[in-house]
Amino acid sequence: MTIYNMYIFDRNGTCLFYQEWQRNKSSGMPQEEEFKLMYGLIFSIKSFVSRMSPVDFKDGFTNFNTNFYKLHFFEPPSGLKFVLNTSLNVESLRESLQYTYNSIYVEYVVKNPLCSLNAPIKSELFKEKLDTYIRGLPAF
Amino acid sequence: MADEFVFEFLHMEIVSYFEKQTEEDDNLIISKLEQMGCRVGQSLSERFTRDSPRFGSELDIIKFICKEFWVGTFKKQVDNLRTNHLGVYVILDSRFKLLTHMSAGDQYLESAPKYLAYTCGLVRGALASFGINSVVTAEVSSMPSCKFQIMIPKT
Repeated sequence: MTIYNMYIFDRNGTCLFYQEWQRNKSSGMPQEEEFKLMYGLIFSIKSFVSRMSPVDFKDGFTNFNTNFYKLHFFEPPSGLKFVLNTSLNVESLRESLQYTYNSIYVEYVVKNPLCSLNAPIKSELFKEKLDTYIRGLPAF
Repeated sequence: MADEFVFEFLHMEIVSYFEKQTEEDDNLIISKLEQMGCRVGQSLSERFTRDSPRFGSELDIIKFICKEFWVGTFKKQVDNLRTNHLGVYVILDSRFKLLTHMSAGDQYLESAPKYLAYTCGLVRGALASFGINSVVTAEVSSMPSCKFQIMIPKT
């Protein structure tokens, strides 16, 4: 069980934060491109799922599995998008992502007067708290 | 109820408003914020002491600032108070409310004084309402801990 990496996007698609803990294969493209690709994918899947779902649903798109990894997605009402890639045997990390938003992002980015809201996050404190939290998860 | 964030967000915006108004001059920003805090401090201390008896000595007044006043505004007490008994008092707050969410060490250190100016004014205003003229300055060496130095000239 392990956590590979994490992306945070704002509602316009700017990547505010990216952190990797273990990544064995790189995507072979520059980071900018990779962020755009990830955001585009998430946005498309989200709207696809909401349109094509055969049943009524509450949350919509929350995660997808491939042969090798699982991608978890969380979006609070403000439009921020949290994306987390983990190994397959991890169950839904929705509450963890919710905690990350509530108690780490809001506390250390929103409440930090020197972090502007739609710009990449530079606060060391945020990085540290996030890192400690992620490493402390049972799924790590 | 955690209503502290209401004031915290307002304070963040006040500092950023002054920054936009007076582009380059940090000192001007700090002095305006301090004046603002002074007026608020005067009223706050009147409000906090409306039921208590008169204070015996200058030290009692400073202790009031460190305890009731700090608890009333920041929901915690001051961590350390030092004095040289000649009119200089140093208040140490190791987890200052307005700095805890910014950083835990060195990042953003240069911008910290602006976020302390209002509080300096608060303390100066509170002391003024007891009839004590003072000069209050703040310094921060490692976030989120900071020191407020109160200098009361002997007349």
